[in-house]
Order: sequence, then C-alpha cells, then structure tokens
Amino acid sequence: MEQKPIIDIRDVIKTYRVGSVDVQALRGVDLVIMPGELCCIIGRSGSGKSTLLNMLAGLEPATSGQIIINNQHLERMTESELIVFRQKNVGFIFQSFNLMPYYTALENVAFPLSFRGVPNAQRLKRAKEALRVMGLSDHMRHKPSQMSGGQQQRVGIARALVTDPEIIFADEPTGNLDSNTSDEVMHAICDTMRANGKTLIMVTHDPNMAAFADKVINLLDGRITDIQCNARAKIG
Amino acid sequence: MKAGDLLRIALLNLWRRKLRAFLTVLGMVIGTSSIVVMVSLGIGIRQATVESYASYGSLTNISVNSWRWVDNGDGSGTSTEKKLNKKSVEAFKKIPGVKVVMPVITTWGMLKSGKYVSDASIMGIDAALAEEFGIELGEGRYPGYKRGSSNYEIALSQDTLNWFRDPKTGKEARDKDGNPKVTLGSRFQLTFDYNSIYNNQPARVNEGFPTDDEPPQGQLYRVSAVGMTEPNTGDFSWYCLMDIDALKKLAAENKAFVSLDTDNYQSVIVKCENTDVVAQVKAAIDEMGFGTNSLQDMLEQAEKQLQQIQLLLGAIGGVSLLVAAIGIMNTMMMSIYERTREIGIIKVLGCRMHNIAGLFLCEAAYIGLFGGALGILVSYGLSLVINLFIGSSGFKSVIPPYLVLGALAFSVMVALFSGLYPALRAMRLSPLTAIRSE
Repeated sequence: MEQKPIIDIRDVIKTYRVGSVDVQALRGVDLVIMPGELCCIIGRSGSGKSTLLNMLAGLEPATSGQIIINNQHLERMTESELIVFRQKNVGFIFQSFNLMPYYTALENVAFPLSFRGVPNAQRLKRAKEALRVMGLSDHMRHKPSQMSGGQQQRVGIARALVTDPEIIFADEPTGNLDSNTSDEVMHAICDTMRANGKTLIMVTHDPNMAAFADKVINLLDGRITDIQCNARAKIG
Repeated sequence: MKAGDLLRIALLNLWRRKLRAFLTVLGMVIGTSSIVVMVSLGIGIRQATVESYASYGSLTNISVNSWRWVDNGDGSGTSTEKKLNKKSVEAFKKIPGVKVVMPVITTWGMLKSGKYVSDASIMGIDAALAEEFGIELGEGRYPGYKRGSSNYEIALSQDTLNWFRDPKTGKEARDKDGNPKVTLGSRFQLTFDYNSIYNNQPARVNEGFPTDDEPPQGQLYRVSAVGMTEPNTGDFSWYCLMDIDALKKLAAENKAFVSLDTDNYQSVIVKCENTDVVAQVKAAIDEMGFGTNSLQDMLEQAEKQLQQIQLLLGAIGGVSLLVAAIGIMNTMMMSIYERTREIGIIKVLGCRMHNIAGLFLCEAAYIGLFGGALGILVSYGLSLVINLFIGSSGFKSVIPPYLVLGALAFSVMVALFSGLYPALRAMRLSPLTAIRSE
C-alpha cells in the first residue's frame, strides 16, 4: 500500500502585519513529505523558510491554507491542543541549543519527559540512553557551560529524540558552530534520524548542509522554487 | 506533568534567584508578621475585655426579673410587670439552650454574734445549683435546709464578717492586734428586726406580748455558719447565702419586718448551655414579657467598639501585606521578562499551558508559604516582646492557633493572587520567541 505522507500542506499563505504594511512571508506553499525523509529547507534570509518551519511545527498559525501533519489539521487546533500535538509528535533542535544552563546534560535531556508525566527513574534511564547514542556518556553530569558547542548541540539532539517523536524540526542547527563541528553535528543528526526512521525538517541557509538531506526544498520570496532529491541520500 | 515535578522545578527556579527570592520573602515576612501582631493585639484586647466581664459574673447567665421596660420609641416607655413564679421557672427550663434555672430571692437581715452586730444581704439559693451559677465558696459548704426544721444554716460573705461592730459604741469587733473577734466559728443569731437590734427605740416592757399599737419584736434565730463565700467573684460574692426554702420560711415568719413576696421570685437566673445561645434564650424570655439582662449584652456592646479597633489594627497590618503582595507581583513579573526565552523553550519542549501557569503560581505560593511561616515565627517573637515590656492587663498580644493557620493560608492566598497575573502572562507568551535566532 502506498504510504501516507506525514506532512501535507496546501496553499499556505502567511501574511505579517508590520506597522500598517502587510508583508507576505509565504505566498502559497504546497509541500508533501513522506515519513522517514530528511528534508532541508534552504533559502536566503527573508525567504520565509523559518516561517514555514514554525508553521509546520504549529508554533505559528497560517493566514490561510491547510497544514496536515500526521493526519491532523494544525490550522484547526487551539494553542493547548497544539502543545499536546507537539508533545506527541514533534522534537526540536535549536540554533542556539537552548539548553537550561542550570541543569546538567542528563537533566536537560530528561526535562521534556517531565512535561509528559514520565516518572523520574524512567526519565533518567531514557535520557542516559539518548545521551549514549549521541556519544555523550562521559558528559552526563556536565552543565552546558562546561561543554563545547558541538557537545551542547548533541545534548540538544538527544533532548529532541528522547521523547521519541515522529518528526524532528531543526532551525539552523549548525548556525552557531564552526564548519568542522557543523559537519560532525550534521552527521550525528542525520545518522540518528535514519537509524530511527524519523522525519527531519531542517532549515538552513548553508548549501553545504543541504547536501546531507534526501530532499532539498528551495524557497525564495515565500514560494518554493525547486525541490531536489539527492541520489546519494536515496542509496544511504 | 506530575505535581511533585512541578513543585520541585518551581522551588529550583526560586533557588536560582536566591537573593531576589529572599528579599521578596522578607517583604512577605514583614507583611505577615505585621498583620499577625496587629490582629493578635486585637484578640488580646478582646480577650482581656471578655475576661474582665467574666470576672463580674458568668457570661452564660441571664438574670430575669418581673419588670419589663417597654420602649415607646420616642424616649419614653412604660414598665410592665409579670410575676415570676414556679410556673415561669418551668417555662424557662423548656427553652432550648437553657441548662439550668435558679430562682433567687434576696432580703436583708442582721447577724448578731455576742455583743457585735453586722448587716447582711441574704440570698436564697438552691445548694444543688449554686456552683453551677458561679456562686463560689471560699471555705465550708453551701447551706442546706431540712424542710420544717428550725435548724438554719448560712454561708457568710467576707463583707458581712468584716462589718461586725458594737451597735452602741460603733467599735469594730477586733482585738488590740486588729484580729477579728468574730470568725466563722463564732455563734450567730439572725434577726430581721432592725429597730430592736440597734436599740433605736426604748426597751419594751411587755416583752413577748406585743400589743396592737406597738410593733412586735423580731425573733432571734440561731444560725450556724457553714461556709464563707469567695470574695470578689462574680455577681453574688457580697451576699450571705441561705437555702431558699429556709429564707422563705423566715421571711414568712417576719412579715412585719420583711416585705418579701414568698409566692413569687424577685428574680430568676437562667444559665445557658453556651455563650452562643444566650442571645436567643434572652429573646425568648423577653417574648414572655419578663425583663432580662445579661453580661453578654454589655459584652456585645463592648465588642462592637472593639471590632472597630480590630478593624483598624488589621488595616494597619494589611497595608504592609499589600506592599508585600505588590512585591511578589513585581518579582514574578521581572522573572517573566528574564525568563521569556526559557518559558518559550519549555513550551516548545511540550510543557502544557496550565503547567506553565502552575509553575509560576507555585513559585508565588512558595514565597507566600515561606514568608508566612517565617512571619509567624517573627510574630511570636514580637508578641513575646510586647507582652514582656509594654503589655498590661488590658493590652496584650495573643496568637491563637487559628490565627497561625489563618495567617499562613492568607499569605499563601495573597501570594497566589499576586502571582495570578504574572502566571497568565507567562502562559500566554509565544513559544516563537524561544527559537527565534538572536
């Protein structure tokens, strides 16, 4: 049987009002993403790529159009429903890591589980496992300030994966890292996603990073101009 | 999110901002302790007032008399009389809330011991009920009476005992060291004939055979002193006590000297089960057409005035609590501005809306709880200092347990209330701010 798309958006328009001027961030975007695909949304700043990501993650409502994620219509949900939706379906990797500075790596990773009512012992067990996968077993007790940027982002990845979501969103995950570390982190992200069969939606303006993805979506002035499929990724 | 996690994280959030949390708690400490101390003064003053009223007599007693003042509403009024008798006593007993009823008759007579004489106000009581009505004995027992006998017993009052003096010279019955010559162990005789005992009229020739134009001479009754009332306690401590039947019999035999209506009672004392029902029992008796009064009435008047003092004191304390509450609100608002990003992140990470509000409310509640608890400790200290150094019988600070619990609950409530708006603000913060790159 044909697989159902995990993300299916139709004619999404987003208009911001800046002062008395309407700015169109998205001018009618259609996009279908299958489960397990690693997608990269690439475009210049102001192209609307972050807006698109926020909308897919239910952080921002669309002005019009349909957003169907995992068979659920996001545009019909209230904010609390969106939070529940994110709890169940979505993991986040941030550009600036956004780790809690006063928590250790382990506590940071375990943190999202506490919002889901997971008991403490189980939280720590799952967090340890996630950190082990990211190769951070030796840094569990370290606070973010005691770790390098790459390590911090790997904690961020572990935190996004610990809740076992269907889709991981990453907004410029390497934006704050140097190029060597960027490659290392991108490998870490892509390998884990593939290993776990997760769908990844990543936003970047760096064409080098786009090379890691199965599908590269080019965005310009609020419209998709091109979608490339990477042959290498298909084999891998 | 589990409640335990919520409480733990909220506490951690406060701990991260120790100094500010401490200062806010300090504000709350001052607020709580000022309100507790002020209220405790109010309670203390009230207690002192109640105690001073209670020392005049029992607060559960209503004294009923046969005269009722009916106010016409224009300052004038009329008195109506309704006889108090055995039937009315039975009627009072049936009123709900009434514990016991004791009829009272009072009269006065003269006690003679040797050559010394003293005046005595005598109250007829029922020995079985006397203690119940706060008629206290300093020593001995209550006087009893066997119906029909001529063996009379009396409990003397201190005043009567001290008053013994020689009617001819007016000299007090004391030896040269000032010790009283008449004591409880002395022999006593009771009479109601004022004139003959004080020799105000020429001695009569035909003793024992009174003629029509001459008033009869009152009989002297031997009475044995069986006890003494406790001085300065309640309404009755200046009365000598006799059994009510004995006194009635004596009064009946001495109609020439004592105008005592032996069929009716002068007054009846009604004791209520507790102070709460006094007002309604009193109203029921009023309804029957009798005159009533109780210490409770006067106390209520006094309490109305005290209430105003208490309100004033509470308001003074309330102002500092208000300042503390604003402090909490300010702290929480500051905290939200600082933590905008963090709130956004935890929202993106899947923290529910009500959990975010819950976190902030918890933090506020902690401030209220700690501030309240410390404030109560401080209040105890202040209360101690007040009572030690500036307290007096009418001015003291009393912190009852309910005030402690009330203050704690109140400070938590105030804190929660102050935290409400910040919590709602936090809840409504957009998660976008968190992932927007700097």
